Amino acid sequence: MSHDYKLVTWTPFKKRFDLWLLAGIALYLTVFILVSSVNLPADESYTPIQLILRATGTLAFLLLTFTLCIGPLARLTPRFKPFLYNRRHLGVATFLIALIHSGLVLLWYHGFSETNPLVSILISNPRYDSLAGFPFESLGFVALIILFLMAATSHDFWNANLGPGLWKAIHMGVYFAYGLLVAHIALGAIQFERHPLYIYALLLSAITVSGLHVLTSLIGLRASARLEKDGWIMVAAVKDMSDSRAKIIHPNSGEAIAVFRSGAEISAVSNVCRHQGGPLGEGRIVDGCITCPWHGFQYRMRDGRSPEPFTEKIATYATRVSDRTVYVHPTPNPPGTDQAPTVIED
Amino acid sequence: MKRAHQKAHLRIWFILGPPLLGIIYFAVNLRPDTPVNDILPANLSTEAE
Repeated sequence: MSHDYKLVTWTPFKKRFDLWLLAGIALYLTVFILVSSVNLPADESYTPIQLILRATGTLAFLLLTFTLCIGPLARLTPRFKPFLYNRRHLGVATFLIALIHSGLVLLWYHGFSETNPLVSILISNPRYDSLAGFPFESLGFVALIILFLMAATSHDFWNANLGPGLWKAIHMGVYFAYGLLVAHIALGAIQFERHPLYIYALLLSAITVSGLHVLTSLIGLRASARLEKDGWIMVAAVKDMSDSRAKIIHPNSGEAIAVFRSGAEISAVSNVCRHQGGPLGEGRIVDGCITCPWHGFQYRMRDGRSPEPFTEKIATYATRVSDRTVYVHPTPNPPGTDQAPTVIED
Repeated sequence: MKRAHQKAHLRIWFILGPPLLGIIYFAVNLRPDTPVNDILPANLSTEAE
C-alpha cells in the first residue's frame, strides 16, 4: 500500500497466471500461422512475416478486447475475478504483442524507404480526407503510443506519485486507444482481407465491449436503495449473507457501501478501495481483513484501516440486525473510525 | 468503484459505442467487391515484396 511500491508482488498465483498467458499466446500464434498457411486461397501468397503480422495484430486486438471486458464481467459473475487481479499483466502483454506487430509493419512496409519509417507511416499515404483510403496505419500508431503510456505507468510507483484519480483518468485512455484500433482494423484489414471472420470478430468485439460497459454501469447506478422510514437501508436476509463475502448497497446519495459478513459478525465499509477505487464489496475477507479484488489492498473490518505498517483508511458505517435481516445506515463515519460489528444472534 | 467513475464510464461508452459501430458499418460498405490491399503505398509494398 503506501508503505512502499512492492505490494503487487509475484505471488505463485500471478506466476502461474503469467505462464498460462505465455502458453496461450504461443498457442494462438502457432495455430493462426498454421491454419492461415493451409487455408490460403490459390491466388494469394503470404510471406512468413506477413503471416506473423496478421497473427500478432489479431492477437493484440483480441487481448485488448478481453482485457476491457474483464471489469464488467467480474461485476456480473465472480468467475472473472482472478482475471481482474491480473488485468495489468494482460494490458502489458497486449502492448508487447502490439509492439511486435508495429515493429514488423515498420520493417516490412516502411523499412526500405529512404524516409524515416516513423515519418513514413504518417505521410506515405496522405489521403487523410478520404474514408475509403484513410491511412489506417497512423490510427494504429497513435493507439500504440497510448498503450505504451499505460504499460509504462502501470506500476504502483506511478499510481502512488500521480495519485489514484489522475492515474485512473490516464488509464481510461485505453478506451480511446480501443476506438482507434477498431477504426484501424475497419479501414485497414477489413478492406483487403477476404475472410468474413474479420468483420464478424470486429463487430462482436465492439458490441460486446460497449454493451458490457453500458450494462454494468446502468446496473450499478440504478440499483435502488430500499430506505426504511428511520433512514436505515435493508441489505439482505441473514441467510443470504455468505460468510467472508459482501453485499454492495447503493444509497440514493454518496458512495456505494460494502456490507460484509465474517462468521457471526456484520460490518460495513466504503465500497471504494483507496488504491485505485476498486470495488471492495466484490472482494472477500482474507486473514480477517477485507481484501480488494483488484490488487489485494487490505482493510480491517471494524475500523476500515489497513493493517500496519500501511496507513490507508476508509469510511465505516453503522449496521444492525433486526428480524433476521441486515440493515446499514448510509451516513459514513470518518475514515478509520472504529465501528463495533453487529453480532448475529442465534 | 466510485459513483462518479461509474457515470464517467457510462458517458464514455454512450459516446464511443455508436461511432464505433458506425465506422464498422461504413467500412464494410466501402469494401471493394474484390478486396485488394491498395491502401498501403504501392511503391513501398512493391519494394517490400
